[in-house]
Amino acid sequence: MLKIKNLKADIESKSILNNFNLEIKPGEVHAIMGPNGSGKSTLSNILSGKKGYDVSGEILFENKNLFELETEERAHKGIFLAFQYPLEIPGVNTNIFLKTSLNAIRKARGEKELDAIEFLKLVKLKAKELKFDEEKLNRQLNVGFSGGEKKKNEILQMSILNPKLSILDETDSGLDIDALKIVADGVNSLRKKDNSFLIITHYQRLLDYIKPDYVHVLMNGHIIKSGGPELALELENKGYENFN
Amino acid sequence: MREKQIDKLKDYKYGFTTDIENIRAPKGLNKEVIEFISKAKKEPKWMLDWRMKAFERLKNLKEPNWQKPKYPKIDYQDIYYYSAPKSASETPKSIDELDPKLLETYKKLGIPLQEQQRLNGIAVDAVFDSVSVATTFKDKLNEVGVIFCSISEAIQKHPEIVKKYLGSVIPLTDHYFATLNSAVFTDGSFVYIPPGVKCPMELSTYFRINASQTGQFERTLIIADKGSYVSYLEGCTAPMRDENQLHAANVELVALDNAEIKYSTVQNWYPGDENGKGGIYNFVTKRGLCKGTNSKISWTQVETGSAITWKYPSCVLQGDNSIGEFYSIAITNNYQKADTGTKMIHLGKNTKSKIISKGISAGFSDMTYRGLVDISSKAKNSRNYTQCDSLLMGNKCGAHTVPYIKNKNPESNIAHEATTSKISEEQLHYCQQRGLNPEEAVGLIVNGFCKEVLQQLPMEFAVEAQKLVGISLEGSVG
Amino acid sequence: MEEQLKIDFEKLLENSNFSKKNAEIKRKNFDNFIEKGFPNRREENWKFSDLNQIISKNIKNLSFYNDLSKPNKIDQSIYIDGLEHNKIVFVNGRIEKIEFDYEEKNKIEILDDLVLEKSNNTTNSLLFLNNAFVSKYFKLIIKKNYSLQKPLVIYNITNKDLVSKNINLKVDIFLEENSSLKLIEFSNDKSTTNFININYNFNVQKNSILKNYKIDNNSNSNIKYCFNNISQDANSVSEIFLLSSGSEFIKNEINCNLNGKYSSAFVNGVFILNETKHHEIKTNINHIVENTKSYQLIKGVLEDTSKAVYQGKIFVDSKAQKTDGYQLSKAILLNDNTEFNAKPELEIYADDVKCSHGSASGSLNEDSIFYLMSRGLNYKEAKKLLINGFLLDVVEKITDSEIKNLIKNIMSLKQ
Repeated sequence: MLKIKNLKADIESKSILNNFNLEIKPGEVHAIMGPNGSGKSTLSNILSGKKGYDVSGEILFENKNLFELETEERAHKGIFLAFQYPLEIPGVNTNIFLKTSLNAIRKARGEKELDAIEFLKLVKLKAKELKFDEEKLNRQLNVGFSGGEKKKNEILQMSILNPKLSILDETDSGLDIDALKIVADGVNSLRKKDNSFLIITHYQRLLDYIKPDYVHVLMNGHIIKSGGPELALELENKGYENFN
Repeated sequence: MREKQIDKLKDYKYGFTTDIENIRAPKGLNKEVIEFISKAKKEPKWMLDWRMKAFERLKNLKEPNWQKPKYPKIDYQDIYYYSAPKSASETPKSIDELDPKLLETYKKLGIPLQEQQRLNGIAVDAVFDSVSVATTFKDKLNEVGVIFCSISEAIQKHPEIVKKYLGSVIPLTDHYFATLNSAVFTDGSFVYIPPGVKCPMELSTYFRINASQTGQFERTLIIADKGSYVSYLEGCTAPMRDENQLHAANVELVALDNAEIKYSTVQNWYPGDENGKGGIYNFVTKRGLCKGTNSKISWTQVETGSAITWKYPSCVLQGDNSIGEFYSIAITNNYQKADTGTKMIHLGKNTKSKIISKGISAGFSDMTYRGLVDISSKAKNSRNYTQCDSLLMGNKCGAHTVPYIKNKNPESNIAHEATTSKISEEQLHYCQQRGLNPEEAVGLIVNGFCKEVLQQLPMEFAVEAQKLVGISLEGSVG
Repeated sequence: MEEQLKIDFEKLLENSNFSKKNAEIKRKNFDNFIEKGFPNRREENWKFSDLNQIISKNIKNLSFYNDLSKPNKIDQSIYIDGLEHNKIVFVNGRIEKIEFDYEEKNKIEILDDLVLEKSNNTTNSLLFLNNAFVSKYFKLIIKKNYSLQKPLVIYNITNKDLVSKNINLKVDIFLEENSSLKLIEFSNDKSTTNFININYNFNVQKNSILKNYKIDNNSNSNIKYCFNNISQDANSVSEIFLLSSGSEFIKNEINCNLNGKYSSAFVNGVFILNETKHHEIKTNINHIVENTKSYQLIKGVLEDTSKAVYQGKIFVDSKAQKTDGYQLSKAILLNDNTEFNAKPELEIYADDVKCSHGSASGSLNEDSIFYLMSRGLNYKEAKKLLINGFLLDVVEKITDSEIKNLIKNIMSLKQ
């Protein structure tokens, strides 16, 4: 599904990622762990198409060169990023935002756009599954939401947009245990044989709830070690510093 | 590039012209033309005298020059002051007698005038070039005593009311363009709501400039008698022409004791092309007088069209406890210029005013908010709250905020806030990541920015206005 | 008045030995002034303060020639007590003392008889008047890498001999790279009904710091205008504080050009006015390059029939991305016939900026008064305490603690 070859990324001529390689097959859950400044967020930014990086190398998503696609085209193809810091957009109603997004994606895929009633039915269902307070969906997007609510809102959006590849950028940071479980349940319920996940995290904690197939350790801009779930535990015990 | 330009031109979907035979007064501004207009309108002598008085005063007035957008000198002798569709010269008895081409025009504008297609619950007065061509729902309004007709008709049928209020809010010699309008105004709407009546439907006027080299000088007068309520909407469009056309309207509102007038505008005159060629000069004087106690006047405007917009819908809060409101969205793109805002003049006790202004500039355009809040020493315990926010898109455009704040009353409070911001890369990226293209994303964010104002519009207009906000900014994201 | 101007101007030329070129430039300025006259309310800048009217109402038989040949006595009792400082003393427009006892002599240069080099590129008629009639023109240069040990106080004293005169002062202050100056301008007037017209030009070079405190606190019947032009290089800081209180009329105008990256300007001011006083602060902060910052805070307390005006403008050039501009003005109106006018203006041509302004005026908060009274204060005390707090907020912005305390004392503010 996703093939990253020899990715190199600089920002203002400072090297962030180099010689970065990763392959994710359909249905797989990969976790990337790394210390602060190792390039984790850069990776999610580049996958989602954020501007401002000098990049080289190759990223293929379903055999299509990602660098040729705009951010929204990547979203249409099924890439979803749960942001580390979800943005506040004043004045924009959360429901309207979601409906506009969903229909933009459906339209691009040649699917029928949902009318207001169909959409609300879908949202109600998903909000209930994720124990998300429906009333909040009538508020301005993320404005006045707590940190946990913002993260849950990201997962709600993920479950409604139903992407093929979901990238979770430190979705666990700032969540209490209850919220963490809800987020994890949300992710697990979306795990299907065609859907893949890339979970970017600092801590092993989230991986107690979402069992990854592979764990990669990212340091100094590239993956220094890959393994199974046990690698995360090893990392947790040793710490990043002694890991090298 | 070329293709893009053609696409752009399509954006102004009201850019068509209608091929209709016109009757015109000769070009130029002189006594004869004013007499011609007055005669064509079958006006009584007092009206002609009034026009002539304005014309005499005009000779001593100069065009104002303090505004930010400068414009090339207007040759007032090179304008047609009166243009009427030939078929309307014999006033049609009913809409069925209207020229089918005219009906077609209004259909294209999305305003069906024919009875069977009429908009649900909105009475429409349609002004085409210089004359009012049709007013719908007259009978139904008559039942409750509401008068809604063209100003020409009102001058003939309700001279006492017109005489009493015309020029009572905007004096004959207020300033150059207002005085010009008083001399040469051709048509516009007249509304009178009798005491205690809540107007049963939205009243609406659609203005259309069709003929070339023609100025449009409409005049609107709305009187809400004691304890009455009316919501009035106006919309404006014009064909795409390379020349600049002048539109200088006067709008006067009078609210008596306990009356309320809500006046909404969606202004979409032709803004000129990408390079700033053509477009309407929209120099409009709008003023409301809260004459009675507990009266209220609320202005809402969405200004997206015109090459130059220059208007300050104002409230004179004369009655004790009266309320004035101004909600504005102004968008400029390409080479458009706007200098707009309001004046809130607090004269009575316990008067309140609120100003919410949202300015968005893109392309090479320039936007100015200019507003006056003046609390006189007699206006005890009065309040004003002003918030004006600007959004810039790119660094080739400008945003200017010029509030004038005068407080002469120690028991009154004025609060003013202003911010300038841009759409952040992060916000755009977030929306794009959810599948929206950049223009959809900008439209969404800008609509969010304008929300407080859009909420003020009646439902039917709000939807149109939201789309307009998106369309007006097309091509400005890059 | 034109007749008087002409007579006085010829008298000035006759009694001074200006070079031919200087005299020519002066005449040009004089002609410009004659053409424009004193500004009136038809000029946007003077919309709220019609100087022409104010002068004709307050000053009878204004004359423009000032005999500076004889020295004046300095009334030393007005020197600021308890603050070691350098001094420049003007009495009735004549310089009487220059004293830099606390400084290294070669680090400060004073040119005291400058010649106008060319006429200013201006439309400001009061600068024309100043250029035409100013007899000596000073320049103070602070050398590279030098920070003055002690503040400099410029005393501007007028005594009772001075009546219905126009006094013009012109001072340039040049801060070379990496230097710093704390300047207090302190006026004391025992004269009556004069028009005092002051022009400062500050050039603040790279990494330099200018702190300028203008104190107009003693009650007098003079009409004053002070134009301050500040141009700032990279990384420079200017901090202006205005105590606008004593004169019958004073307009402080500040034009600040932030020409170098990371330069910043702070303008803080208070109006404390009573009787018929009418004061104005007008600022123009021009953000010309990127990453510059400005902050303005103006507060006023108005009594009797006094009037205060704040016109503050922030201009942001299209090149000045990442500008941070802020202004806030607030006034408390204590009487029925007081007036506060504000025109906080933004003109912005760059999109990546953070600019905002706010303005509020009104009465003292009755709830707060009630609260304080419920704790045992009487109405008058409660009011005083609230005003005290309201103004203290601005004074606290002064970064030099010694001068901050001095100004608190002058304003008799309690902590």
